[in-house]
Amino acid sequence: MTAAGRAGAGSRRATLLVLPAVVPVVVVVGAALTSAVLLSLGLTPLVGRPELSLDAWRATELGTSIRLSLAIAAGATAVATVVGLCLALAVTAGARRSRLLATLSSLTIPVPHLVGAAAMGLLLADAGFLPRLLGIAPADWPALVGGRWWIAVGAEYAWKESAFIALVVAGVLSSRVASYTETAALLGAGRWARFRHVTLPLAAPALGASAAVSFVYTLGSYEVAALLGRPSPEPLPVLAVRLFTSIDLAARPQAAAVAVTTSALGLVAVLVSLRSLRRLAAEQ
Amino acid sequence: MTVLHRWHGGVLVAACASVAVLTGCAAPDAAAPVAEDRSWDDVLAEAEGQTVDLWMYGGDVQGNAYVDDVLARAAAELGVTLRRVPIADTGDAVNRVLSERQAGVTEGEVDLVWVNGDNFATGRQAGAWLCDWTSMLPNIAGTDPDDPLLTSDFGTPVDGCEAPWHKAQFSLVYDAARVPDPPTTLAGVLDWAEVNPGRFTYPAPPDFTGSAFLRQVLYSVSGGVDEVPLEHSDEAYEELSPALYDRLAELAPALWREGDTYPQSQQELDQLFADGQVDMTMTYGPATVDDLVADGTFPETTRVLTLDEGTLGNASFLAIPSTSDDQAGAMVVADLALSPEQQLAKARPEVWGQFTVLDLDRLGDDARAGFEALPDSAVVPSYEELSAGADPELSAGWVTPLDDGWRREVAAG
Repeated sequence: MTAAGRAGAGSRRATLLVLPAVVPVVVVVGAALTSAVLLSLGLTPLVGRPELSLDAWRATELGTSIRLSLAIAAGATAVATVVGLCLALAVTAGARRSRLLATLSSLTIPVPHLVGAAAMGLLLADAGFLPRLLGIAPADWPALVGGRWWIAVGAEYAWKESAFIALVVAGVLSSRVASYTETAALLGAGRWARFRHVTLPLAAPALGASAAVSFVYTLGSYEVAALLGRPSPEPLPVLAVRLFTSIDLAARPQAAAVAVTTSALGLVAVLVSLRSLRRLAAEQ
Repeated sequence: MTVLHRWHGGVLVAACASVAVLTGCAAPDAAAPVAEDRSWDDVLAEAEGQTVDLWMYGGDVQGNAYVDDVLARAAAELGVTLRRVPIADTGDAVNRVLSERQAGVTEGEVDLVWVNGDNFATGRQAGAWLCDWTSMLPNIAGTDPDDPLLTSDFGTPVDGCEAPWHKAQFSLVYDAARVPDPPTTLAGVLDWAEVNPGRFTYPAPPDFTGSAFLRQVLYSVSGGVDEVPLEHSDEAYEELSPALYDRLAELAPALWREGDTYPQSQQELDQLFADGQVDMTMTYGPATVDDLVADGTFPETTRVLTLDEGTLGNASFLAIPSTSDDQAGAMVVADLALSPEQQLAKARPEVWGQFTVLDLDRLGDDARAGFEALPDSAVVPSYEELSAGADPELSAGWVTPLDDGWRREVAAG
């Protein structure tokens, strides 16, 4: 057997090994996306004749929702990345107290988003626990829940996702960072230089990947924005669910159009982050 | 249906849906299936042993308790297992039935739905309800066949596609301690809200109650119920809706949080009222206010406001999906729910406090005496007083355009 033939057999085996994971994903996601695209194009209506049309895409005001969803996802991910990195540094630091803090904060990981959102609402609403504790009248309390700036929504995502980012980044750092920073310290690098030139580059790929996951998750997630948000404007997932459950049958294709848009945005975000991660890996 | 069957049902729906997608299958037939005419004894015999899944809005604690503790128990005596499936919005049940129809399912998971208005109209449009079955129910004799609330549901003819369950009257609720001199018209309420900034708001449509408030304001700004054609048309909408949105946009700065946002549901508004953040709330089920006062959620000085021009009234119903395979059992439950005993139990404020759909003149002396002996309430006026000069509901065709318009013109503005 030639070398080329052996390589071909190897890649065939690799393909076979991957199949059990790929097939269900392609069938489930593929079928769902195909049906959503068909529905959005008016080809599978609930009543009436199937007819190709772009009405659903024109009818919904996608622009505002896209901007809002991207802003919420970007804001929450930015906060989560900074907090998550700090937590990861605390975990890998020697001091026992900061390790305890980081372990405690990782306890948020098993809390479902829905529970987190309900708790955030009870805490931050204008007649919630916090204003009552501080003795502030509801009218004087800033509109954190349902307000113009989506503070409670961003806070919930940042709180949950920072723990996830911390977990991933700490996993990478804990195995490698100690020896490298020790070497750098021996060579005379200061605290900031060690962070800037050793820790951050080591953490960057994991940080970037987990931030991308968190961004895409936040972009497509419904329950937190629905519970803690405001009636108008709506983020994409909330808009999609409202249109899908609308009693107006003509709204279903519009819901599908919104869902397809959300998926496309998520896909673009993943591709962009994969590309930059690859570039990052090439640089190092 | 057992849990296992339910699971299989779900897989089946998913499988059929993907098959339908892949084969590009056309929309299902929109004609409503009609129940076969047969004797009631025959229905009772078939119903024995069936399990009926009643899908109903699950946010009403008293309603849940009534169905679980009173109605389900009585159904069990007839050999029918009644199971309540709580849903966040009746539209969920309708959507489920529509998906089942699209997938050609005949053993659907929904056997009975508490429904009215646009949800009923949409289901009818898609042939989702079994029709012509209510005349078979023995207890339908207790209702007035000419009662307009029971023959037409938000302008959609009922045609025996749903059995009446209870009546409701849209009502505003206020705290007499904080509003000592309440307005007596809806225009007066809006003026009052402007004079007392931050003390009034309404749930954002498409919330059911917020949507009803929108229609009530439409009547008010249009100069009365006679000025609004009940049947929806684009011309009428173009002519009448600007005044509505202008009035509400003008009112917005005087609302709770300067109208920057709105409560997303009636429950949120009730919460604001209970917290003392606003002085008025609203409901389509005023009889439930009694219990909220009794358990201390609302202040003792809470009162239901009657308006001079009357308020919207409607009836709600039980409908059987055409995809259900426990239709006999569902009919037995619908008939039971209409019986004088059940209607009386349900009318008690401590049970659920829902107004009966029965015509008292058609009942036996005992049953009538039972209804007449219902306690008077300091909080809620009697149904006769509340429904005096009741306004008819607009046809379901109005509801979605008005809600969408509000979102565009008022919420986004």
